[in-house]
Amino acid sequence: MMKNILTLILFFALYVSLIAQQSPKKNYSKLNINCKTCHTCDVPTKTDPCLVTCPRDKMTTVYQSADKTPETIVLDQLVNSYGPVYFPHKAHAQMAEMGGGCESCHHHNTSGPILKCSSCHETSRKRGDIGIPDLKAAYHRLCIDCHREWSHNVSCNTCHVPKKDLKNVKDEKAQKKYYSKNYPIILEPSKIVFKTNYEKGNLVTFYHNEHNNKFGLTCTSCHKNESCATCHDLSKNSNTKEKTITVTKSNSDNHKKCSSCHQIENNCSMCHQDKVAEPFNHGKQTGWALNRFHINLSCAACHGEKLPYKKLDTKCISCHKNWNNETFKHSITGLQLNEIHSQLSCEDCHTNNNYSAKTTCNGCHDNYSFPKQVPGKIVGKLN
Amino acid sequence: MSGSSRRDFLKTSALIGAGITGLSISSAKAAPKNILSENRMGVLVDTTVCIGCRQCEWACKEAHDLPAGNIASYENREVFYNMRRPSENALTVVNQYSAGKGSDLPVDVKVQCMHCDHPACVSACIVGALSKEENGSVIWDTDKCIGCRYCMVACPFQIPAFQYNKALDPKIMKCDFCFERTKEGKLPACVEICPVEALTYGPRTELISIAKDRIKRDPDRYIDHIYGEKEAGGTAWMYLGNQEFAKLDFPEPGDKPAVGVSESIQHGIFAYFVPPVSLYALLGGIMWINKHRKSSDEEEK
Amino acid sequence: MSNDYSSPVLIKHKFLTPGVFVLIVLAVNGLVFLMGRFFFGLGAVTHLNNQYPWGLWIGVDVAAGVALAAGGFTTAALGHVWHKEEYHLIVRPALLTAMLGYTFVAFGVFVDIGRWYFIWHPLIMWNGTSALFEVGICVMIYLTVLYIEFLPIVTERFIGNVNLPGFLSRMNKPVDRLLRVLDRGLSKTMFIFIIAGIVLSTLHQSSLGTLMIVAGYKMHPLWQTPVLPLLFLLSAIAVGFPMVIFESILASRSFGLKPEMHILSKLGSMIAPLLGVYLAFKIGDMFIRKTFVYLSEVNTASVMFTIEVLLGVIIPLRMFLSPKVLKSPGLLFTAASLVVLGVLINRINNFIVAYSPPYSLHSYFPAFGEFSVTIGLIAILILLYRVIVMNFPVISLPGKQKAAQTKYTIKGTK
Ligand code: SF4
Ligand code: SF4
Ligand code: SF4
Repeated sequence: MMKNILTLILFFALYVSLIAQQSPKKNYSKLNINCKTCHTCDVPTKTDPCLVTCPRDKMTTVYQSADKTPETIVLDQLVNSYGPVYFPHKAHAQMAEMGGGCESCHHHNTSGPILKCSSCHETSRKRGDIGIPDLKAAYHRLCIDCHREWSHNVSCNTCHVPKKDLKNVKDEKAQKKYYSKNYPIILEPSKIVFKTNYEKGNLVTFYHNEHNNKFGLTCTSCHKNESCATCHDLSKNSNTKEKTITVTKSNSDNHKKCSSCHQIENNCSMCHQDKVAEPFNHGKQTGWALNRFHINLSCAACHGEKLPYKKLDTKCISCHKNWNNETFKHSITGLQLNEIHSQLSCEDCHTNNNYSAKTTCNGCHDNYSFPKQVPGKIVGKLN
Repeated sequence: MSGSSRRDFLKTSALIGAGITGLSISSAKAAPKNILSENRMGVLVDTTVCIGCRQCEWACKEAHDLPAGNIASYENREVFYNMRRPSENALTVVNQYSAGKGSDLPVDVKVQCMHCDHPACVSACIVGALSKEENGSVIWDTDKCIGCRYCMVACPFQIPAFQYNKALDPKIMKCDFCFERTKEGKLPACVEICPVEALTYGPRTELISIAKDRIKRDPDRYIDHIYGEKEAGGTAWMYLGNQEFAKLDFPEPGDKPAVGVSESIQHGIFAYFVPPVSLYALLGGIMWINKHRKSSDEEEK
Repeated sequence: MSNDYSSPVLIKHKFLTPGVFVLIVLAVNGLVFLMGRFFFGLGAVTHLNNQYPWGLWIGVDVAAGVALAAGGFTTAALGHVWHKEEYHLIVRPALLTAMLGYTFVAFGVFVDIGRWYFIWHPLIMWNGTSALFEVGICVMIYLTVLYIEFLPIVTERFIGNVNLPGFLSRMNKPVDRLLRVLDRGLSKTMFIFIIAGIVLSTLHQSSLGTLMIVAGYKMHPLWQTPVLPLLFLLSAIAVGFPMVIFESILASRSFGLKPEMHILSKLGSMIAPLLGVYLAFKIGDMFIRKTFVYLSEVNTASVMFTIEVLLGVIIPLRMFLSPKVLKSPGLLFTAASLVVLGVLINRINNFIVAYSPPYSLHSYFPAFGEFSVTIGLIAILILLYRVIVMNFPVISLPGKQKAAQTKYTIKGTK
């Protein structure tokens, strides 16, 4: 009797543990990834799944905007001679948009939430499956390749704070002081001169600040899939505002970034010149010099967000659609209209809404002309 | 020739023959341990992963009671200006080379004994002081070595080093695959410390499939060559790289074991002592005939 | 028939001459550096390093030493196996040089190996796959055989002459009896040792060539060939007689004797075919492996190879073919020296010049200490030779017409 009960209990225990080991079933067909990412054939079967070697970076299905990611991640699973590493996750995530994206670290993440490194990478180096690196190697490999690219050394203290200087803190603010700040702070360059080997004009002058401030580009509009060292390089003098770069990459690589906005076919001389080009001048380049009101506007304010910018006409009303005698403060032009004139509609003096042509008084007055006769008071410099 | 001396001659020849046969039997047993086990271990060195931190150099020295110094001093990059070789003071060294395909980063190559499958050093050692063990390591026995340095001549990878500056008890120094550590179930010191696991320790057959897998998965990162899979008949330590191994100063010893030619000559000469014994008999015969002719000449006179 | 031959006697000559004095100085200099080697290690006196583990001592003291002591087994074969009795009078000097030469080789090894106190290890720790083991074991046995072969000369000197000083004189009788027993035993069994000596020689002379084969690609293709053992054996056989001629003429000059030209020219006439065979194999091997391409570039290897073959083989080969050379002591000596030099260079080439390790952080050129020791050892060797021939019946004086074969043949055959 006793024996039977024991056997029963044993079986039960076995059964429970078996169930416990079953991972919850995933329905891969519902995943947001193409079957062909993993299978080579159309109908994979259990016996012949025709799997490709696991693609490193095509599998992630969950994305978060960088700003929503954790500020700091404490890597403390392998603490021994060094203490935990306080990894500024958010900063890296933000930067990652210019590099390989989240997948550059979170790879082979088949589905669902982002997995911890240690869910695949074992903590012990002496282990069964030596096909994938252990946790220590996984951490180091991810970090060190970029870090040594720009720092040109492999010193441990780049990331590790010596244990004696380290207190285990929970507070996010306090953790931040253990970030290592070894990367060179970069100044945004203003002007870069590319030396090319194009014989009809070997210099291409690129005004970085214009593209940023005026054209409203963000970092990621141009910088994608780039190595950190492109900007953070300790040995290169990356902190100068103006620099000259001799171009070595292939022709198409060079043009790729510019051509996404600029029309480059049969348009070489737009960028390629014999001498260093002047900054962008709206008057020279388009024939329409910007007045003091327009000069400080971002390009997108008139040309819209969409690149490439279209040529606009010069009619004020094309942009300033809601301007009329009531909404427009004429004094801004240097001429304050008197009461009578301020009642008139704009076309009464500016024929055909052409504000660059001469104004006419003929509608009401004979032999009157501006500026001999002034319909009000001069309050500033006329233009 | 008198009857008695002829009998002597035959008797002694027979005796010598028997002696030499005895010798040949005992010599068959007297070969050094040279095991090519199915489960021998190895290390896969991925030079595209190695960061040249040189911690393995430090750990190796620590593990072998060599003066290691401060680990922080190993961050010095200037040592890379000159090629270094394993020596009596450092059983493993890391050299740096310019970048290969698919990367701007320099390539670092750790060098140590390859623990050949058919080690030339073991085959060559005059007293069998070197042996290839069950787990794949090729180790040196201080109680046997006479310091002739023939292993150094033989090694196709130019690995064994010698303590030339010691008058007493100079040793052959080379990586022993951390024989003592692995016996206790620990990893080799360098493998254990490597921060990026550029060194993967495991059964050699498994390492080869892992290496092939890496090459297949990442053909842009690697050249399609596992150095050490075939070189010199196969080695326990194998390398992956992103450029021709010759550019990384790896020698090209060919795919045949370095010991092949000389061992077959050796065995040819000593095949059960047949050649020497027959030469002995031949010379004895000539001597006998000549003597005989001479004495019969004299008798005729 | 045997009356044409002279019997070996003790050479009476002043020991100290200016030449001997120079040798003593060289020997002392060598010994000083030897002490350095034993007190401070190999690194203190040699330029050996981890890239070049073997240097002058192995190349010259050992490899060339073994080759140049080949006179011992070639004359033994000629004199005893082929029973050419007219050559018996050169057998003893050749035996003595071989004995001293091999002693010098053994000592050279002793000096060169780092753990010299374990030099006896190969006796009990065997490695059948090692060419060096074979060389070592053969040399050890052969050295013993040489000593045994030399014993009759000692017994001949002392039988009936034992004269121990002081209280030991009581032992005179028993020692004498012992010597006689020894002598009788030896003469019965000597042929065993003679044949063994020859077999051992062919074995280790060839294995000396096998030594470098294991270095594989580290050795320059001009020399690296699977037939190296054969080339070593052939060159050893070819250098045997020239070496006998060389030292015989040298010894005669030094003691103011007339060289035994009638024997030496006969000996000389046998050299050409031996050299020819060696040359044929060497050139044949070169053409089969197509290594002559390496001769088109001018570097140390190609120059040394040319010197070795031209000066050491082809020129003396031509000389030995000419009757004029065979008759003139001077020319014969020159030709013989060339062969000796050629083999010396060949061994140096094989062991030092051809060895080009893939990573040579420092190149190798022998240190002054290495030269000193090698030269010092050679000086000691010559001095020993001088002492021995003045105290033991080794060299036969011309004109002393007395029946003489070496002793054991007299006793062993009758
Ligand atoms: S690399 Fe050299 S020392 Fe190491 S096992 Fe092979 S032959 Fe021996
Ligand atoms: S296995 Fe051991 S002995 Fe060999 S290099 Fe690594 S640490 Fe050194
Ligand atoms: S410890 Fe690893 S990464 Fe560092 S140098 Fe050695 S092999 Fe390379």
